[in-house]
Amino acid sequence: MDTISLAGPLDSKLRVIRDAGFTQVMLSAQDLAGHPDGMEAAMRSLKASGLRVTGLQALRDFEGLEGALHAYKVDVAKSLLDMCRAIGSPVLVVNSSAHAQASTDRDVIGRDLRKLAMLALPFGIKIAYVALSWGRAIRDFEAALDVVGRAEMPNLGIGVDSFHSFATKSALDDLDLAFGESILLVQLSDFMVAELPSLKDRIATANHLRVFPGEGLHSELVAELVQRVTSMGYRGDYSFQVFNDDYHQIDPATVAARARRSAVWLGEEVLLRTVPLRLGRPLRA
Amino acid sequence: MMSRMTILGSDVREGLDASIEANPAGFDGIEFIEYSTPQPQALGQVLELLGFRPIARHRSREVLLYRQGGMNIVVNGHRYARPIDEPLETPQIAAVAFRVKDAAVAYHRAIDLGAWPVASHVELMELKIPAIHGVGTTRIYLVDRYKEFSIYSVDFVPIPGADPAPPAIAGLHWFGLVQYVAQGRLDDWTVFYRELFGFTALPDDERFGILPKGRILRSPCANVHLQLVGPEPGGAELYGAERLQRIGLGTPDVLAAVKTLQARGVEFHVSETLHIEEKGALTRPWLGGVMFELVRDPGAREKK
Repeated sequence: MDTISLAGPLDSKLRVIRDAGFTQVMLSAQDLAGHPDGMEAAMRSLKASGLRVTGLQALRDFEGLEGALHAYKVDVAKSLLDMCRAIGSPVLVVNSSAHAQASTDRDVIGRDLRKLAMLALPFGIKIAYVALSWGRAIRDFEAALDVVGRAEMPNLGIGVDSFHSFATKSALDDLDLAFGESILLVQLSDFMVAELPSLKDRIATANHLRVFPGEGLHSELVAELVQRVTSMGYRGDYSFQVFNDDYHQIDPATVAARARRSAVWLGEEVLLRTVPLRLGRPLRA
Repeated sequence: MMSRMTILGSDVREGLDASIEANPAGFDGIEFIEYSTPQPQALGQVLELLGFRPIARHRSREVLLYRQGGMNIVVNGHRYARPIDEPLETPQIAAVAFRVKDAAVAYHRAIDLGAWPVASHVELMELKIPAIHGVGTTRIYLVDRYKEFSIYSVDFVPIPGADPAPPAIAGLHWFGLVQYVAQGRLDDWTVFYRELFGFTALPDDERFGILPKGRILRSPCANVHLQLVGPEPGGAELYGAERLQRIGLGTPDVLAAVKTLQARGVEFHVSETLHIEEKGALTRPWLGGVMFELVRDPGAREKK
């Protein structure tokens, strides 16, 4: 499960996630950078928790910039990659740029993603590129797969975030353009309104009112997405990308219990697995 | 959309169609290979068995330069060279220096493509050689002064009485390096060397020596080979961390070279699966894991 759904400092988040039965955690760089006792203490807590790191999020507004802005973003990317190395994160999540000055030229975007993947390559880190539904140039699977294809790096693929695809009604059919191995991560969430026509609605809902899969109005779509990527050969991890302001003022243990219910729903009803479910593992046989 | 298969396919095609090989970094061979070790004298003895001679000493550090024929090996006993604070008993290949047409151009091109620069610890009046991160804790130096001017004449002092150009034993020359890679990392490293230096993957049926596993990348000058070896599928990660594991030495006549080296005290690995053959031989490991591989190779290839 993701730390972003929980209130409190890193140490208690890790404890709650582990106690709920999960074996993996998706971390935000803020969890580590904001640890009151510093990065090293954060890493010690992580190690002591026994949780495996699914990935680290998120590098934002990286691609399509020039000159000093580009150089600045390369430095930020390097710092996040250093963090991935330090915590043994196999994946860095990169959100498509929403920067007003970012180029919309797909060759330029592909070139920058190629450079990012090259920066990650010596350390065995993969780059999962996620199309934000309010991204400047890249907003859906088709576009994300296109630029990842232009970049042509073996450690670069897409991250599928169910929220953005449902918000834009991005056709799940477009996912068939991908090979199973070019999907590096699947992030699942749901939301409670039927339509999100405006960018403003999308951003507000995405950042404040997502719910766990199975809790919202789009459970069937979540199920279809999971079945589709599974049939395409996806065997990687699932994480719950659930930003929710309400969850930040509820006991984290209660929120983690909701996440657990969601994982059981996913395992037993969507993937039709029998218990015992190995929570937090890739939900597959 | 690019798949793994397409990446391999394009490499193989490039390997077959060498006439369109590009050499984007102006790659022109290996200038030196550097070991780091807490026991530089012990490694020096091993190198001398293999025919290398100590010819110069670094001005400010515990570093010696060994040479035979066209090969230079730097043995670094200085603490900066060690990847971690704990001294490692077994000497490690810490760096490889590539000859390139213009080091500054090749360096900036590599950084633009996403290579990581390595900070150098240069003392006053020493040469600053640009370097990027390689596999594991290794560095890749970029050297362009290897024709009219020697980089060693700046940082090194000749050892009195030593022949500065000791001849090679049995025609020994650089064949290349073996790099151990983690599970699923062959494509990553293939792309790394292809993008930064123009190496191309050879077809699977083109193999050298007696250890044909993995994938062989050939330099655009056609004289340097990097053999990427990963763990066996389904097997345990026996190899440990990703690293440059051993040096491959080319010789026109492996059996003659083995005979000459055995007379000097070099022992070769012989087992049920591994023998001394015309196509290659492997030395027994020294100092906990330093080994060298002989490979039948006539020497400098014509650029295709």
